Amino acid sequence: MTKPLKLIRPLQPVKAARPALTIRKVSKIFPVDDGYLNVLDNVSFDISAGELVCLLGPSGCGKTTLLKLIAGFMKPSAGIIHIDGKAVTCPGPDRCVVFQEDALFPWLTVSENIAFGAKKLMHKSRLVKEVHRYLEMVGLSAFKDYLPREISGGMKQRVALARVLILQPQVLLMDEPFGALDAQTREDMQNLMLSLWEKLSHTIVFVTHDLVEAITLADRILVMGTNPGHIRSEIQVTLSRPRKKENNAFHNFFRDLRSRL
Amino acid sequence: MTRSGWVQGYLLPDPIRVAEAGYDYLFAPVGNSPYAGRFLSDALASLLRVTLGFTLAVVSGIPLGILSGRVSTCRHLVSATINGLRAVPGISWLPLALVWFGIGMHTTVFLVALAAFFPIYINTAAGARQINPLLYQAGEMLGVGRIRSIFAILIPAAMPQIISGLRLGLGIAWAYLVLGELTGVPNGLGAVIMDARMLGRIDIIIVGIIIIAVMGRLSDLLLNLILRLFFKSARRLT
Repeated sequence: MTKPLKLIRPLQPVKAARPALTIRKVSKIFPVDDGYLNVLDNVSFDISAGELVCLLGPSGCGKTTLLKLIAGFMKPSAGIIHIDGKAVTCPGPDRCVVFQEDALFPWLTVSENIAFGAKKLMHKSRLVKEVHRYLEMVGLSAFKDYLPREISGGMKQRVALARVLILQPQVLLMDEPFGALDAQTREDMQNLMLSLWEKLSHTIVFVTHDLVEAITLADRILVMGTNPGHIRSEIQVTLSRPRKKENNAFHNFFRDLRSRL
Repeated sequence: MTRSGWVQGYLLPDPIRVAEAGYDYLFAPVGNSPYAGRFLSDALASLLRVTLGFTLAVVSGIPLGILSGRVSTCRHLVSATINGLRAVPGISWLPLALVWFGIGMHTTVFLVALAAFFPIYINTAAGARQINPLLYQAGEMLGVGRIRSIFAILIPAAMPQIISGLRLGLGIAWAYLVLGELTGVPNGLGAVIMDARMLGRIDIIIVGIIIIAVMGRLSDLLLNLILRLFFKSARRLT
């Protein structure tokens, strides 16, 4: 996917090449019993291809709403959302969501879940190979015939990751995907996600309310505020990868950031 | 109790007599005695009525259930009417059915279809309504449109409820079969019971009841088997 780009701009890193996602003056208003609820107000930002951006904010700041707008599950009340120059009108396999809760199909096995979106796009023989490849990538080859109810929460999120990665989406939208996992599993999942991101270099928008998670993962953090939801500030995470929580640099960055928020 | 003389034989015949009558009804050559060997034709007639009525209930109940479970406008329109109709005891449809369809096959099939429809419709609608909306969202982003999502997501996800609706419906279908056949059709398991009552053959009535119970249970097993054979979700979610 990135090859032609490299030919055009051989000296620039792919990441800075083009905005994969453009959000301009997006607002979202929900009707409620006694009037309207302004959930998002005048949000604008760009995300470059291959960039990993965290949307950080307290609950109720509209970060999940913003993600659902990008996914196309609902339409903004005002403003435009462009993916790769095309306006978002409906959900599509070019921007896939890994949901906060388990959203696997409970009647399908792990490998059938992963094949669900891909089976229309490729021939049977290629599908089998691809499913196998992604099963291996997320380390679930041994569990391919298990049903979702038979595997752990962390494994379920791996399946959720694999079933969207197989579609090779331009943008991956992650809605606090590891929020419900225990600390150790969570760290494993973060590492897995980062290694896949380095390998596949897709764009990621990652919603979280956890500052440590945001610093661990992001190239850039968009800090959101509430009432109504808006972008408060934008922070470049300059720490080198791989980032370790135990490092002094990480700790200083964290302290500095927390005092500013 | 009958043997000890506590109960009169014409009210409750002893088990041996019932067994003899049962054997006679099931296996004896036709003409041996009034009920000899009638089983096959009765059972086939009843089976046909139940199958027809149940099929009608399935082809109307499941699509309507899906529609009103998925589309809220449809739910508001349809479910009030259907819930109102449901409150009407099935037996009060009998006079109307007799007027509409006359005595015989049609009335029975109508009653069976009507009675089986409600549990099938209600359970399908409830199952379709309870589906986690995340599954639809996941389906949409994985490239499954609204129409295809009915087969790819709604039916498998609602399968446990659809199955309980079908099983309830099938059970009720057998009950209403007997009701329909009590109205004077010449053959069928319900007709045999009614016939035997008029001739005072309590043993045959008991035989008929047992056969209906057995056939009801067998058809339930068969239904389960068929669903499990054809639907992954039926195998895995129940």
